[in-house]
Amino acid sequence: MSATKRNVRVFRYDPAVGGDGGFRDYTLEVENASAMTMLDVLLHIQREQDPTIAFRFACRVAMCGSCGMVINGRERLACKTNVSDLPPSEDITLRPMNHFPVIKDLVVDMDPMFNKFRETLSFFEPKEQLTEPARIAPDAPEREEIRLATDCIACGCCVSSCTMVDHHPDYAGPAALARAYALIADSRDGLFQERLAAALPSCHECRTETNCTEVCPKGISPTRAIKYIQRTALVQLEVTPKEAEVEETEAPPARWEVDRATFIRGAGVAVIGAAVAVTLGSVAAITTVGPTESAAAEEWVSVGRIADLPQGKVTTVLLNYEARSGIYSQTISKPVMISRLSDEIICYKTACPHLGCTVHFENQSDEFRCACHGGTFDRSGSVIAGPPPRALDRYRHKIEGDQLLVLI
Amino acid sequence: MTQSVKADLLIVGMGAAASMAALYALDANPDLNILIVTKALKGKGGCSRMVQGGFNVVLHPMDSHEKHFMDTLKGGQYINKQDLAYTLVTEATATIKEMETRFGCFFDRNPDGTIHQKPFAGQSYDRTVHKGDLTGIEIMSRLTEQVIKRGIPVLEETRAVDLLLDESGKTVTGALLFDMRRGDFLVAEAGATLVATGGGPTQYRFHAPGPEKSVDGLGMLYRAGAVMMDMEMVQFHPTGLIIPGSVVAGALLEEGLRGAGAYLFNGNGERYMLNYAPDVAERATRDVVSRSSYIEMTSGRATPEGGVYIQASHLGPEFVLKNFPGMAERCRQFGYDLARGRVPISPTAHFVMGGAAVDLNGQSSLEKLFVAGEDAGGVHGANRLGGNGICESCVLGRQVGKALSKHLHNGNRALATTRKDQVKETADRLLRPFTRDSGPSPFDLRKRIKEMNWNKVGVVRDGPHLTEALAEIDAIADEASRMRVSGGRNYNMMYTAAVDLLSMIDVSRMVATSALAREETRGAHSRSDFPKQRDDYGLFNSNLRRGSDGKPVIEKTPVAFTRKSLEECQNYRKG
Ligand SMILES: Cc1cc2nc3c(=O)[nH]c(=O)nc-3n(C[C@H](O)[C@H](O)[C@H](O)COP(=O)(O)OP(=O)(O)OC[C@H]3O[C@@H](n4cnc5c(N)ncnc54)[C@H](O)[C@@H]3O)c2cc1C
Ligand code: SF4
Ligand code: FES
Repeated sequence: MSATKRNVRVFRYDPAVGGDGGFRDYTLEVENASAMTMLDVLLHIQREQDPTIAFRFACRVAMCGSCGMVINGRERLACKTNVSDLPPSEDITLRPMNHFPVIKDLVVDMDPMFNKFRETLSFFEPKEQLTEPARIAPDAPEREEIRLATDCIACGCCVSSCTMVDHHPDYAGPAALARAYALIADSRDGLFQERLAAALPSCHECRTETNCTEVCPKGISPTRAIKYIQRTALVQLEVTPKEAEVEETEAPPARWEVDRATFIRGAGVAVIGAAVAVTLGSVAAITTVGPTESAAAEEWVSVGRIADLPQGKVTTVLLNYEARSGIYSQTISKPVMISRLSDEIICYKTACPHLGCTVHFENQSDEFRCACHGGTFDRSGSVIAGPPPRALDRYRHKIEGDQLLVLI
Repeated sequence: MTQSVKADLLIVGMGAAASMAALYALDANPDLNILIVTKALKGKGGCSRMVQGGFNVVLHPMDSHEKHFMDTLKGGQYINKQDLAYTLVTEATATIKEMETRFGCFFDRNPDGTIHQKPFAGQSYDRTVHKGDLTGIEIMSRLTEQVIKRGIPVLEETRAVDLLLDESGKTVTGALLFDMRRGDFLVAEAGATLVATGGGPTQYRFHAPGPEKSVDGLGMLYRAGAVMMDMEMVQFHPTGLIIPGSVVAGALLEEGLRGAGAYLFNGNGERYMLNYAPDVAERATRDVVSRSSYIEMTSGRATPEGGVYIQASHLGPEFVLKNFPGMAERCRQFGYDLARGRVPISPTAHFVMGGAAVDLNGQSSLEKLFVAGEDAGGVHGANRLGGNGICESCVLGRQVGKALSKHLHNGNRALATTRKDQVKETADRLLRPFTRDSGPSPFDLRKRIKEMNWNKVGVVRDGPHLTEALAEIDAIADEASRMRVSGGRNYNMMYTAAVDLLSMIDVSRMVATSALAREETRGAHSRSDFPKQRDDYGLFNSNLRRGSDGKPVIEKTPVAFTRKSLEECQNYRKG
């Protein structure tokens, strides 16, 4: 087997550097395409070309669900995808999964998915205090029904592939629903009603695009799970399931109104034991809203009263706001430089267009300066010196009453 | 200033042992503040997830705890800690039932709806509970859900790097953690600390556990001064896949293949097991098959891939595909055809029988320090039976969890004070690789130690090679003290490799030292210069601790035959 050269495009993003991230190209000699996984590709690049590249794995044999990423446009496990699985004519393109915050490069924070598991009560709650395991024949209908669903490795591929996740903040997403379904069908479980109530509204959001089913590396069909939950609700609860809304507006999440009380009871169960939380306030990991394909939608954020921003100066204001992207939301702090040097108000990004370091305005020299590589900008943000490729980026702003708002 | 957190109970690791301990401690004592820290994501790291075969437990009236106990001692070649092994087998029954009834595990069933049990090597009764060949996924997914349900805080991708001690060096006050995402240290102090990082001998060329693991717990326990035992006992599984150049190399082809009648061939096409074990051939126990394959491989009869071949095609392709679909798929991914052809394999490092010396509550030789799962030693003796590993983690994790809740209830929650400079000294030393402009690469050194261990401290050992190995470990340690890591500190995988290497160095040294001191062949420990098991010599446990010069000091203590005498053990036969 002769070695072939492959171009590998890897998405790089480092919160310590900032910016939006972007693809970097590597060229790799592939000795044996059928014995080289994407994980091997990344490990080779890391060892031989670029040790700073970040990705995640643990088991390397498709059992732990740590290595999900988007490989040539499709969610797959890096350890289960070989070079030979991709057309030889194409570049190999690796980027982080959608809808999850990016921690670095290909590594995402999977907590949003785990949180959805909690919201849909996707954990076993025994119906009775038994001492002996339930007697259930292997071919019992409930087991036939859920068969594969219990093999889920929580890799998040289905969540990343689902387009609805981005449109409905309360949507539980395919992974949590697949688990809810396995529990709903489990005769040993005691939260049948509550779980059905918690899962059903999300099921209405599903547009049956079956992306989740196509990408699942374990052959699970979350689509089928979702339909099963709806069917069960129909039979067991005698309510008419609400049809999915067709318009793509931010409709309020459909709540199943018939038995709100059960829903709330169910939610109560979810927080049992939450009181044990150790105070970890300052420890919380930094997760950045990463530049995945579905970047958070823009929104107007208030800076404060214009009168509080001194005339003839540049003031840096830290904006704190709630941003939502896909299945998670988080508080973001973002600095904005407001210039009132002239009559015109200008709102600048503090990130240097070169490599994203922080830019300050220096009163003595009347210039914006970047400490990292000496980038210098004049009062209007144009480059005077140093490596920055373009002028300082600006935010759009508007004035409402006495308030200044910027579009973030 | 390093950030710090405090808890009643700090649990290091989130495999089966750690999760079971957390659940049982909290359920017995709901106001405990428990903090779990794991090197991976929630429930995703470690070997418990990777369990294929299953969990040994006595459920059937025809079976008995006595038989399971004797099988375990026989497998361990009599040097097990008998009281631990007895707890293992007797408590396993209640444990597996509670995992079904309380946590929602669902294991495979017999046609009558009772739990199905399959045969596994070395057992006098079919007692292995399983869920298909993905038992570990079922167990870890269900336990993780229960941890999430209870809201027990978990710090993900936060690895413990060293245990913290008080001024006297006898009491553990918590652990120094490294938040891999932020690239910063974090001090965790607790009334009790449980180490459950699951051993995992990845310091060899071929290994079955995932490469995320790096014997961290064992290294930490040793550096803290805990008494360790039987570190020479490293189990090699005979059928690890060879995939040149891939990180998947060493991943298992399951034992059931040999059980079903697969053949092994050397590079000359000979069924060599007929020479080593004429009666049972390929069905011989793990240690015998691994050793035989290794001898073939190192005597000029290796295949071009450097190993031996497994062949199952004579059983019929349909049979293979029907009974081993997961294994066939694993082979197919790399262009091998298990159903119709031969597949290159090698013995692969699988499990560490040795570990911290503990009592029935998991208490180690240090105050406030507890150990459970593969990091603890003693229960398996010189060799672990298939199916007793996940059993150990679940059963003893549960025991330790219950014991910890009692211990912490009895006025032991107070935090001890960490020695003044320990955090700063350790953090400064560990960060040095970032400050250097040049130095050896951790990737290169890791490769070197893996090759060295494979060749000199591996499946078959001898005195001269072990002596060489110890010198080479010193040389690698010396180079490691000059390592350089490039890039920033946040999510730096090169740095992860550097810290991993430090654990591997300490553990390699323990294994080589203990292996040199045991001049016989017993269970997984095989010496070509002492090829016989010597019951007039070898009935001891190798207790080891870190000496004042940083090197291991060994003390051999006679095995305590507290429940069964040596004669009863020797006379025990299957049946
Ligand atoms: C491929 C394979 C198949 C197996 N099959 C079987 C079988 O069929 N039957 C059987 O009985 N046994 C089997 N075993 C053995 C069994 O898996 C182990 O005995 C058992 O899972 C160990 O459990 P544990 O809880 O001690 O550790 P693990 O499950 O390994 O968990 C260790 C945890 O510690 C974390 N960790 C590691 N280092 C650190 C650190 N520095 N700081 C913080 N956290 C850390 C890891 O991320 C992980 O969460 C198998 C092992 C392997 C590798
Ligand atoms: S359902 Fe499939 S794709 Fe979704 S998390 Fe589970 S294993 Fe991954
Ligand atoms: S590394 Fe575990 S699934 Fe890929």
